[in-house]
Amino acid sequence: MMQPIISFQQYSFKYKNQSEPTLKDITLDIYPGEKIWIAGPSGSGKSTLAHCINGLIPFTYGGEISGSLSIAGRNPAELSIFELSRTVGTILQDQDSQFVGLSVAEDVAFVMENKAMPREQMKRETAASLERVGMLEYIEHSPYELSGGQKQSVSLAGVLSTDAEVLLFDEPLANLDPAGGREAMQLIDDIHRQSGKTVIIIEHRVEDVLQQPIDRIVLMKEGRIEAVGAPDEILASDLLRGCGLRPPLYVDALRYAGVSLEGVQGLSRPQSLGISGLGERLDRWSEQAAAQAVSRPAEPLLDVRGLTFGYEPGQPVLKDVSLQVGAGEIVALLGNNGAGKSTLSQLITGILKPQSGSILYAGREDMASWSIRRRGEAIGYVMQNPNRMITQHMIADEVGLGLKVRGVPAAEIKERVAGVLQTCGLYPFRNWPVSALSYGQKKRLSIAAILVLAPKLMILDEPTAGQDDRHYQEFMDFIEQLAEQGIGFLLITHDMYLALEYAQRAVVLSAGEILAADTVASVLSRPEVTEPAHLKETSLSLFAKANGLASPERFVQAFINAEKKGKKGYE
Amino acid sequence: MNRTGSLYVTGNSLFHRLDGAVKLVLFMAWTVMTYMFLDLRVFVLMLVVGIGLLATAGVPFKKMAFLFWLMIIFTVLNGIFILLITPTFGTRLTGTDTPLIPLGYNTINAETLFYVLTLSAKYLTLLPITILCIFTTQPSAFAGSLNRIGVPYKIAYAVSIALRYIPDLTEEFRSTLNSMQARGMGITKEDGSIAQRLRNLSAVVVPVLQSALHRIDSVTNAMELRGFGTEKRRTWYSGKEMEGLDWTLAVLGVLLLAVGIWLKVRVLKGFWYPF
Amino acid sequence: MKKSIFQLNTRTVVTIGIGAALYGATSFIGIPVGPDTSLRPAIALLAIFGALFGPVVGFIAGLIGHVLNDLLTSGTVWWGWALGSGITAAFMGLIYLSKGFDPQNGTYKGKHIGLFIVYGVVGIILSLLFSGWFDITFMGEPSDKLLIQVTAASISNIVVFSVLGVPAVIGFARRNAKVSNLSVNE
Repeated sequence: MMQPIISFQQYSFKYKNQSEPTLKDITLDIYPGEKIWIAGPSGSGKSTLAHCINGLIPFTYGGEISGSLSIAGRNPAELSIFELSRTVGTILQDQDSQFVGLSVAEDVAFVMENKAMPREQMKRETAASLERVGMLEYIEHSPYELSGGQKQSVSLAGVLSTDAEVLLFDEPLANLDPAGGREAMQLIDDIHRQSGKTVIIIEHRVEDVLQQPIDRIVLMKEGRIEAVGAPDEILASDLLRGCGLRPPLYVDALRYAGVSLEGVQGLSRPQSLGISGLGERLDRWSEQAAAQAVSRPAEPLLDVRGLTFGYEPGQPVLKDVSLQVGAGEIVALLGNNGAGKSTLSQLITGILKPQSGSILYAGREDMASWSIRRRGEAIGYVMQNPNRMITQHMIADEVGLGLKVRGVPAAEIKERVAGVLQTCGLYPFRNWPVSALSYGQKKRLSIAAILVLAPKLMILDEPTAGQDDRHYQEFMDFIEQLAEQGIGFLLITHDMYLALEYAQRAVVLSAGEILAADTVASVLSRPEVTEPAHLKETSLSLFAKANGLASPERFVQAFINAEKKGKKGYE
Repeated sequence: MNRTGSLYVTGNSLFHRLDGAVKLVLFMAWTVMTYMFLDLRVFVLMLVVGIGLLATAGVPFKKMAFLFWLMIIFTVLNGIFILLITPTFGTRLTGTDTPLIPLGYNTINAETLFYVLTLSAKYLTLLPITILCIFTTQPSAFAGSLNRIGVPYKIAYAVSIALRYIPDLTEEFRSTLNSMQARGMGITKEDGSIAQRLRNLSAVVVPVLQSALHRIDSVTNAMELRGFGTEKRRTWYSGKEMEGLDWTLAVLGVLLLAVGIWLKVRVLKGFWYPF
Repeated sequence: MKKSIFQLNTRTVVTIGIGAALYGATSFIGIPVGPDTSLRPAIALLAIFGALFGPVVGFIAGLIGHVLNDLLTSGTVWWGWALGSGITAAFMGLIYLSKGFDPQNGTYKGKHIGLFIVYGVVGIILSLLFSGWFDITFMGEPSDKLLIQVTAASISNIVVFSVLGVPAVIGFARRNAKVSNLSVNE
């Protein structure tokens, strides 16, 4: 029998400043050459488990350990973090923090520099490592010229140069767009195949990880291991949802269509399942379920007409961009990084001034002469990371701040703050300091702080980034409730599923131009739109094609309707 | 400044090829030379040499024009300021007084005017060498060069980290300011009195600081995991081995500085006033 | 847990680097209050970095931040003023050495605030006097003119320090104070 390379035995860990252990009674053997996926929602302990493997625990984060852990036959606590890194190479979640070099070559060479390797040897090995991840042509580039995925590949090259036997990926997909995520999983798989190294992936995005084969899934929940098994087993059971993870959409679609999944093989990828009569069954289901609710034309709140903008003459960042958002409507603005999404939102909020074109509010008033402050009262802008918006110590102060600077009387501030906190489900915590809130609660707080100004339209930048499925759904359901009260939303995102499930319409921006503006299901089944915008075809439509369904688009629509019905059913 | 936060312009001039540490030595020698004197002849000579070197570096003037303008505006304002506040300062240096322009409360004399001219030349003299260094040195070569001239590698690497994250943090600070401005808590005129705007600014500092501290954590982890600081010394990917030309110029720089010191002590002791 | 102020571990190196970067990143912004003078948050950052990490980290971060910023935006290093930035931060960092002052864990007392203000004000005045002396000695600037400049800069830096720096440190400490016994009030 082969010796495990990583072995946890009844292992528990409690952080220094916490009263409860974060990892409880973990027993897990990982064998050389395996490709393991550790999955779980935030707070499940999966990141802590990763820290135990790469030595950040106990060397950087102290705490109490019980039970045993051995890595390549040794107890990590007896090594140094650097000695351990010769066995376990880590690719961190935050690509910008991991990329410390001023150029690609330097970042790859970072470990070699620290070992005081002679320059000639360093140059050879750096080039060889970059070749393995297909990034050699970028050797002289600076990090600012690279996409998140490319930075990650560079980090991987740096780790490969150390010859570590275990590659540990901590949330590798967190900051990547869909196409970037696909490439990342492909690269990880290629390296795994070529090198035979042990690969451990920590992630909560199910469908994206499963784009490539996985040996075993380790499901974590509340600090314990909930289940360990092959992907097909785990998918056929209902364990994922129980662990706060989102099963692949086509698996959900099969459930909605009433197809039994017991013992079904091949669920881990959107492919032909070989169940007899499956195609016809699904076609019948989609025919019934796909009837599209005719949406009443909403009264336009924001009307962007022919906007053109560039920082330098002759190089427009946005070209003739038009879009509308109606009252109570959720519109997704999709596009890759650098497509001009944030420039567009800065034009709408008035930070930037357009070279031509106009922005009308409530369908008629031209906003050109409005100050940023006045626009802020009509159109709220919420940043991706709530920590970057929160400035106050206490929750109620944070929400009331926007009113205070506008000279609203104290009594009225109190009343309006209380009202908004009620809406956002934060009222019970009104006397808490901000630091006591979870990430998801802070996200709501950042919305509350804008909502208190009573805007009619809100622009949300990547509203669900960094949240696991349960928090994601909770948050978006909350946004839907606000939309029902008549607030219009423009979601700036590269998350197609977010658009698919929550937006009425999608506008796709690529290289500064609008490529398409239509229903989400239709936009996302058109490769001529998805490819240039770094989106990808949804797994639903891939699954529909693989199983020979009559109309993939109709299948997607049926799924969306079933989701909405399902949600109403819960209420 | 471009998106990468550096001003480096690619090229193959003498200065591009020169080792970064040698450039630092020349830069320091030049700076000390300038600091020592208050003599227009020295500055004119250095300026001619400096601008000559700058011309050989092939950096497009358009790219560095803003630095020249900044410096010219600064010296002009500084000069006017001196003339208005201490219109007879030159007398203290020369012992003579040649009244020239009446101001009402006092009179600007020729000595002060010439002093201001000398001082402006002194400031301008600092410019060419700095421009040469920043436009012809890749930022990544900077830290290694500091280390080579004797700065401990950990301090040198701190400089590299600063260069690496200035653009990221600038972008972050800007976007936080923008979102605050949309909430009505900006720092522009429309956001209220100066006191209010200062309060708004102090509010922005909190999330920016929080995020910087978070970044310290993650960058530290990234570097610890890759063995930073485990050895007594460290090598640098960027840079090259010192060649004959490098040594020659480094020695030349030190020699010229020595000549300068000799001149200062023996010949051009004080303020040069020819009239 | 506070470490010796001279220990140069990886965290210290990164802290110096990020501190310097933050100084550079925020020095482009300011609230103009008069011709050629504006209130800049950079001085507040020196205060914060000094208070959080001590005089040595503060000094080096302030010096590096100032030098890099000069190189990237003005084409000349104003050594006197760059060293001045370091000295200011070092003085403000003296508070770090006080027993019981630990904003990272949210502990401080009223007397620390008083002491912090004293260190800061003394540091600002001394460092500006140093910068002025440097310019008089090495640039040959007239002393009367520098006296005016030093006075103006002292006033504006003290204003920013007390309005921005001190509240930011207190705010930061309060944020990190241990939270216990939070109850939900429906």
